[in-house]
Parts: sequence; structure tokens; C-alpha cells
Amino acid sequence: MGGLTFSSDGKTATLQMTNVPIIDQPRWPAMDAETTPAFLDFKLVFTSTDESVKYEDPMRQYRFEGFKAIAKLEASVRVPSINFAFKTDPLETSKCDFAVMGEEVNGKYYEPGKN
Amino acid sequence: MAQIDSHAIGLTRRRWLGLVATAVGTFVRAMPVQSQSLPQRCAPPIPQNREPSNGGSCPYPIPWLDKNGNHNQPAGPNVELSNIYHFKGKLARCSGFHGIGEDNQGNREAWGTPTTDYSYMAGEYWAARQAHQGVFAHT
Repeated sequence: MGGLTFSSDGKTATLQMTNVPIIDQPRWPAMDAETTPAFLDFKLVFTSTDESVKYEDPMRQYRFEGFKAIAKLEASVRVPSINFAFKTDPLETSKCDFAVMGEEVNGKYYEPGKN
Repeated sequence: MAQIDSHAIGLTRRRWLGLVATAVGTFVRAMPVQSQSLPQRCAPPIPQNREPSNGGSCPYPIPWLDKNGNHNQPAGPNVELSNIYHFKGKLARCSGFHGIGEDNQGNREAWGTPTTDYSYMAGEYWAARQAHQGVFAHT
């Protein structure tokens, strides 16, 4: 269960999910890498800055327009079969090298030269 | 009220989560989207009674990237940030998360790599010759 919510000014987005079924695959990408069922809870918060960005490639038919952002993450993972659990420190302690939020158009929705 | 279509794309290491959401019409900035992980079948159906075949309703992957997702392209400036081709809508993406955490034995360990990236996408995508509404997370 989880959800995606936006603040009233649209500058903050929060994505939160619990009990997401995932796999633990320590030897990935080895062809025979074994997998173990696991579960993930996470909370991800994007906060927009005032620095605008635009990434566009007419040949590949995409345009992203938005703002650089600050992203924070806290998560916990459980691997029941090996009795392993890991929890990150609180949200505000995480760091992220790159984050943006905005609007994207691509493929059939892309029109070159439009702003 | 309109139900927003969603689909989970089976990926290997990284994973798309289809989020079923119920919302009024289109997305509104302040509106919370209540959602749940609910994979649906979106493979192309076999037409019956000579009906046309329009493909499946799964979101279309970015053609020039790994068919299993953006495995080989971490989020960064001047790259395609979407995981879906034929998409318009809200998108946020981040990469390079790192921090510290603790396991259930009390061991303090660093987490994160340059490819620890997350995203959300919320909007319209085109598949099976019609528009679909969806909210997706990429972990």
C-alpha cells in the first residue's frame, strides 16, 4: 500500500509505499544469480528548488521541463528467509547526487519546438 | 470518479510498481493519490471473432534503452528520464542516494550507490492504440 501526494503549491511530492515485494539478488548481474524474496518500505520526498532545467532531444523525441530538486529517502528492507532486516537512518540524513521534478512529454506526445 | 489504469512491468533488479489509483478525472497538484500495488495483465490479447489486434496495454519501454528498464542509464542531466515511451505527465527522478543505516544485528552500515535511483511518473501513456492514465514508481 502507498501513495503519491503533492503539496498545495506543487513544490513537494511524497511517494510512500509499504510491503513492496522485491527480490534480494546479491550476485546480480551474474546469469545464475539466485534471488530471495524480500519486502521494502520506503518514503521518498522530492522538494523543488527554483533552478529550472530543460532536457530535450528532438531526435529521440523527448522533452523534460522542471526544476532541480532535493530528494530525501528513508527505507527499510526485510528478507524473512534469512532473518535479515535493514533500516536506514531518518529521512533528513540521506543524501542524493541528482534530483529533478517536473513535466515530461515523449513519443507521440512530443512536438519539437514547443515550450 | 475515474479509475486510473495501472500495470506492473516485470523487471529484474529494479522494479516498476503499478499503482492503482482512484481520482477525479485528471491529476490535480494538491490531490493525494491513494494507491496500491496491483499487477494486472497487459499482454496483447488474442483477438476473437476476427477482431483487430491492437497490442497490449502495457506501457511501452524507451526504444533505445535496455528492454528491462533504464539499467544502463542512471538519472542525470540531458538524458531521457522517463521509463515509458509515449508519455506525458508529471515526472521526478533522482539517483545517487547514499546514507547510513542499521541491520537487525545492530551493525551500522553505509547504503546506496550511484545507481540507487527512484522515480515517480503520473500522467497519460499511449498503448494498445488508446490513452491510459497511470501512476508509477521506479525503485
